[in-house]
Amino acid sequence: MRRLPVYFLLDTSGSMYGEPIQALNNALSGMINTLRSDAQALDSLWISIITFDREVKEVVPLTELVQFRLPEITCPQSGPTNTGAALDFVMNKVRQDVIKGSDTQKGDWKPLLFLFTDGKPSDIQLYHEKTAEVRAFDFGAVVGCAAGHLANDAMLKQLTDNVVHLDSADSQTLKTFFKWVSETIEQGNKSQGTGEVSKLPPPPSEITVVI
Amino acid sequence: MMNIVTVRSVNDPNKTYQFNDNGEPMRGGIKDVYFSPDKSYVVALFRDKLDENQKERLKRITNYYRPQIQNKEAADYFLEEVFRWPADVVEHRGLTGIIVPTYKGKFFFKQGHETGDLIKGKEKNGKWFAAAKFRNEQFPLRVAKAELGNWLSYFQICVNLVRGVKKMHAMGLAHSDLSYNNVLIDPIEKSACMIDLDGLVVPGLFPAEVIGTAEFIAPEVLATKHLDKADPNRVLPSRLTDLHALPVLIYMFLLHRHPLKGGKVHNLDTEMDDLLSMGKGALFIEHPTDHSNRPKVNRFSKWDLPWSDINKLPYSITGPYLTEMFNRTFIEGLHHPQERPPAESWEQALLKTVDLMQQCTNPSCSEGWYVFDNSTEPKCPFCGTKHKGTLPILDFYYEFSPGVWKPDNSRLMVYNNQYLFNWHVDRNVVRNERLDPKDRVPVGYFTFYEGQWVLVNQKLEHMKDLTVNKDVPVNEMIVLTQGKKILLSTEEGGRLVLITITNEKQS
Repeated sequence: MRRLPVYFLLDTSGSMYGEPIQALNNALSGMINTLRSDAQALDSLWISIITFDREVKEVVPLTELVQFRLPEITCPQSGPTNTGAALDFVMNKVRQDVIKGSDTQKGDWKPLLFLFTDGKPSDIQLYHEKTAEVRAFDFGAVVGCAAGHLANDAMLKQLTDNVVHLDSADSQTLKTFFKWVSETIEQGNKSQGTGEVSKLPPPPSEITVVI
Repeated sequence: MMNIVTVRSVNDPNKTYQFNDNGEPMRGGIKDVYFSPDKSYVVALFRDKLDENQKERLKRITNYYRPQIQNKEAADYFLEEVFRWPADVVEHRGLTGIIVPTYKGKFFFKQGHETGDLIKGKEKNGKWFAAAKFRNEQFPLRVAKAELGNWLSYFQICVNLVRGVKKMHAMGLAHSDLSYNNVLIDPIEKSACMIDLDGLVVPGLFPAEVIGTAEFIAPEVLATKHLDKADPNRVLPSRLTDLHALPVLIYMFLLHRHPLKGGKVHNLDTEMDDLLSMGKGALFIEHPTDHSNRPKVNRFSKWDLPWSDINKLPYSITGPYLTEMFNRTFIEGLHHPQERPPAESWEQALLKTVDLMQQCTNPSCSEGWYVFDNSTEPKCPFCGTKHKGTLPILDFYYEFSPGVWKPDNSRLMVYNNQYLFNWHVDRNVVRNERLDPKDRVPVGYFTFYEGQWVLVNQKLEHMKDLTVNKDVPVNEMIVLTQGKKILLSTEEGGRLVLITITNEKQS
């Protein structure tokens, strides 16, 4: 059974503190519920959530959708956005987790990577190196999402051609975005006696018949 | 907020429809779907502008093919039960839409998952019932037992789908994208309905615009998908590819696994491997001699058991008629589309198999029914419970020439409260959707009464026990004993039955 691994890299730097992080939690939980009500997604999807601010944290390791439990994602009140370190981390995970095809074993589907950020990388040097590595790797799709006016689209363009810009990181916008994400993920999977004679036994009470 | 929009029919400018534009339509793959104010139909608007040919196809589906179904036999069966056929075409702000009757209530989950209400009230998409994990009792998001029905349910479901395809093919149409996503299933009322019928293919007139859904695309379509549409070697969906997709669907509904997804690795690249394993290199996982694609059970998700284990539940549990049909499709016909059996053969094979079914005596058996395996000690393949008591079998014979009776290659397994119908009695009565209502009424029944199996004659005027040469009048019964011969009718086409009592050792 091939799995479809999906990695979410989520920016939890200081600028996400307050409403944006609440909205993100809300939107993620909505997305997981949408996916869990989809038979196709439940059949093959594995999800991992990684957050990055000053530190990179594997909040949920690659887990089958049915057993996925979404924890509350929190963020510090201030601090840098180590996007480069996050990409470095996810590349190591992808190499470890994703089963490659061999002569005796079927491989997983190409993984999908979604990066969500509301700012620009603080570790630019590492970011440049790692974007090249991501581009060279055989992902099924890489989607960059820039939320709010501080997010730098041009930086994300280095990582992938699929960049989505959200005007703000409010609840409604994020909900819509993650709805789109779940649709994107789902796409990948498709496409009787008369009673007169008392000696007779009683007629059956239930008819089982296929006509 | 109610925002009622009125739209006009393209077929008949005097006709209008209404929908409630609440700003949040249900989003299909290519359409936005809105309910009519009374919810009796939906208006499904294509998000992108359609070209003239696409519009013409929709007009034809609604103003030519629909009346064709309406004006022929079993119209209600097809339009109310088997198809959700588009009723009309409309235009709205330059976009094209179709009017489709609302799905029946039975096609929405009453409960959904065993626990939680994530899918409660949602459509019963076929995938929920095709995949093994949603019926695995350990799977946290399994479909509720009360929604799953028993094994017999899936035979009626398959019969409905087969008849839908048979009807389309009889009208010169091809479905082109048959999959579990385009069918709604109700195992409780034993019903199935084909939806999203706006992409039908009319050979020569309206070619296919899609090649189908991944697991259902015929090998020849995948093997040539890299070629240009104008290339004469390019194979696009047609009646013959439907005859691949339909058996894949039947196999999945009965066995909850895919007939071609096995352990053979064709290429180290996943996408290339998938293309080859479903296309050019496709091989039946249960091929009797080439075992190279047999599934490796240790590579399956634990949720997919027991269905993924082809040693425990081989396709032969579907009985002799369906086994032969699967052979013709997934062995002989896999790479030879012309060899694939037509939909009507599937219908007859499914119905004949139903006559071989026995109820499992284990009340907690997950499937409840199984096909008699022609052994002297029958047992349920799903739970292993042996059949208790004797088991009568009726083998049917027809009069080949006066006084000479030949086997009719059909059989009826008796169980308590099993019925006898005219399609058993008379070889000229065909069990299909066009069956006369008078032939849908049982003519007799079988029951285990005072320690013996009996057949009670309810309606047969000329039933005769040939063994003792005695008439069996209406409202009398005949005891079924080993080797007994019964003539069911003296009319032309009337059948003779030979009784075999099996499982005697166990009783």
